[in-house]
Amino acid sequence: MIKFVDVSKTYPNGVKALRGVNLEVKDGEFVGIIGLSGAGKSTLLRSINKMISITSGKLYIDDIEISSIRGKELRMLRRSIGMIFQSFNLVKRMSVYNNVLTGRVAYHPTFKTVFGLFPKEDKLMALESLDTMGILEKAFTRADQLSGGQQQRVALARALTQKPKLILADEPVASLDPITTVQVMDDFARINRDFGITVIANMHHVDLALKYATRIIGIKDGEVVFDGKSKEITDEKLVQIYGRSLRHDEVLGE
Amino acid sequence: MRAAELALKRKPKRWVINLVFVGATVAAMVYSFAGSTINWTRVRTIGISLRVMMEGFADLQWDFFFGTGIFRFEEGVIYLTLVTLAVAFIGTFMGAVLAIPFGFLASHNIVGKRVARIGEAILVIIRVFPEIVLALILLKGFGMNALTGVMTIGIHSIGMLGKLFAEAIDNMDKSPLEALDAVGANAWQKIRYGIIPQVAADVSSITLYRLDINVRSATVLGIIGAGGLGASLILAADSWSWNILGTILLAIVIMVLTVDAISSYLRGKLV
Amino acid sequence: MSKFTLTNGKTIVKPFNKIWIIVACVALLLYLFSRFIPFDPTFIKLDQLKVILEKMFTPKGNRTWNDYFMYIPKSLMRPLQETINMSFAGTIIGSLIAVPLAVLSAKNIVKTKFIYIPARFLMNLFRTIPAMILALIAVFFVGTGILSGIIAITLFTFGIMSKMLYEVIETIDMNPVEALESTGATKVESLRYAVMPQVLPMFVSYLIYIFEINVRASTILGYVGAGGIGTVIKDNILYNYDRVGASVLLMLVVILFVQMLSSFIRSKLQ
Ligand SMILES: Nc1ncnc2c1ncn2[C@@H]1O[C@H](COP(=O)(O)OP(=O)(O)O)[C@@H](O)[C@H]1O
Ligand SMILES: [Mg+2]
Repeated sequence: MIKFVDVSKTYPNGVKALRGVNLEVKDGEFVGIIGLSGAGKSTLLRSINKMISITSGKLYIDDIEISSIRGKELRMLRRSIGMIFQSFNLVKRMSVYNNVLTGRVAYHPTFKTVFGLFPKEDKLMALESLDTMGILEKAFTRADQLSGGQQQRVALARALTQKPKLILADEPVASLDPITTVQVMDDFARINRDFGITVIANMHHVDLALKYATRIIGIKDGEVVFDGKSKEITDEKLVQIYGRSLRHDEVLGE
Repeated sequence: MRAAELALKRKPKRWVINLVFVGATVAAMVYSFAGSTINWTRVRTIGISLRVMMEGFADLQWDFFFGTGIFRFEEGVIYLTLVTLAVAFIGTFMGAVLAIPFGFLASHNIVGKRVARIGEAILVIIRVFPEIVLALILLKGFGMNALTGVMTIGIHSIGMLGKLFAEAIDNMDKSPLEALDAVGANAWQKIRYGIIPQVAADVSSITLYRLDINVRSATVLGIIGAGGLGASLILAADSWSWNILGTILLAIVIMVLTVDAISSYLRGKLV
Repeated sequence: MSKFTLTNGKTIVKPFNKIWIIVACVALLLYLFSRFIPFDPTFIKLDQLKVILEKMFTPKGNRTWNDYFMYIPKSLMRPLQETINMSFAGTIIGSLIAVPLAVLSAKNIVKTKFIYIPARFLMNLFRTIPAMILALIAVFFVGTGILSGIIAITLFTFGIMSKMLYEVIETIDMNPVEALESTGATKVESLRYAVMPQVLPMFVSYLIYIFEINVRASTILGYVGAGGIGTVIKDNILYNYDRVGASVLLMLVVILFVQMLSSFIRSKLQ
């Protein structure tokens, strides 16, 4: 369970990216975060695994307040949270298998991982994640040989290999074409359903968010302006979140 | 589970290759050291050597540095540094001027593949000919003085400069040459209006880079008598006078860092 | 600056071309620096160049051509091996110790000024000093011989490699580093899995390139006592020009070979 209490974030340059956010996300939810570019979606997401630190308020993950944790505890937190990025963030020159195996590094001491000494269970775990994502046969090819959709699946496999209870996805399909987009979103839905992993995803396309997420959080200028079931979203609510009616590129269309 | 286990068996054994590679390198290293006759007494007294060096460095000879007191200005480090800089600067200039025809000669675009091969071969020979040996030869013709340094650097620089100039010429846009052909320009006119404006910036930048290298070379060439700081350096080194060596080293460090900074500033302006 | 008047009465001013300032500066520097170079035609003996070249590349006195060339396999193989050995050992050690300094100098990895600025200073200090002077100093510490050559080449390599490597590190894709950090990896683990795979090919390519430079440099390091072919050249420069010539010929062949091998391997790595 994730709980934001009056969370704010001010960047060193003075930009207030989050203003007094209060939220609670229960285990197993599929949350879609929508809002204009620059609204603070990425900041919200990244504060959960402390890729950025909040400047005020409290943030609890499973009742542990995370703003003071660091070092080993921080790494333990991060290894329990998978993260998916818009540009996949794979090591392009490395094999798919090694990329996925990096999901295990935080489980072992550094002096072992730097020499690539992973236990056999971990190696199998990495390959099973690839199997789950349907790309096991690509395991020993270089990551940059794969298509965008396949690369995002590798990233998902890397996240799954962490055995996470939560996956954060920052615009996971923004670099993909419409058909691949639907396939990757289906993968997210499947992971959420089959493994009970909580998914929180920022999405540019509102209709995708409405289709896949069970709950929508609308952000505007760092504030939560909508929080409810996907079904409850109306055109007026969208105007409220976006400050205007949707542009053509903000819906995927059918 | 089955699929994953089968896949694990398929995993390429990269570590075997890596191990062989690392093993071979380590073996070659051991071999390299094994061939060396190490002077253990000297190695054991490194501590003392270090102290001697530090004591010398703490006692820099400022009169020698500035060429004041018992030293004439022409004997001082400042003057010798200027001579070293002069050797590097004039040598680089000479090298750049001489490298231009070689650049054309080695450019596939201008003279065609056949001739360019010959041009390239000449440049390779110049490049790989050890600079200090060249200096030893030129010493006989130009005497034990800075002129030999200038000639050495001038000739030796042609090798690298000519090659890079040729690359700059080959990489430029060829369409202006066509346009000049169309207005009836001759070869010289094409060079003046079609090639020079395009390669001038690259050529200057390459030459400045070579100046960095040549400042270091000019120091070293002095060691065999080709002018500048090197001669005093080797004299001081023969008697291990660290106070004098330190004074000269200080000048070298300042000189090289300054030239590097100016040259990289100017190169930044050029792009 | 010049002004043009067209036939229809319009005027246009051509701005002053800055190139003339540059030309003037270069000319002035050439003039000032030329005053430090002695130029007395009566001392120039170009015929001597021909004499020495002849002495170098023909057998001396009653030696035969066979003597001239057999000197190479008979007496130069051991010095050549020393030259290659010290270049090899120095290149490997110098490149390896350059790695931590390059990492500490990279702004995208180490975000504190207090670390990367001193690191870069150290790096530049080593780059400043010519290899031959490093050899001179090394000879003071460990005596003449190949060990001082290895030390000189190690320090020289350390200077160039750390500079080249940190520049590569600063251009890498930082996205994988972010991904590694998000899985809870330590700094060292991110370096190992996100940075190293990106820079390793360039590192190897530089290593080979620097080895090539070092073979060339180490040829003459012997001149100050650091072993190898340079020692032979120094020992014979006064009386046996033909021995010097033979050494030079051997070095030309070796350097050409190393250069060809180096560009071949580097092109394979791309
Ligand atoms: N590292 C940063 N430093 C300063 N300002 C930032 C930084 N990251 C984001 N911002 C600013 O914070 C605001 C929110 O950014 P972000 O969370 O990335 O929005 P979104 O993901 O919704 O597009 C924007 O105004 C952005 O310019
Ligand atoms: Mg964003």
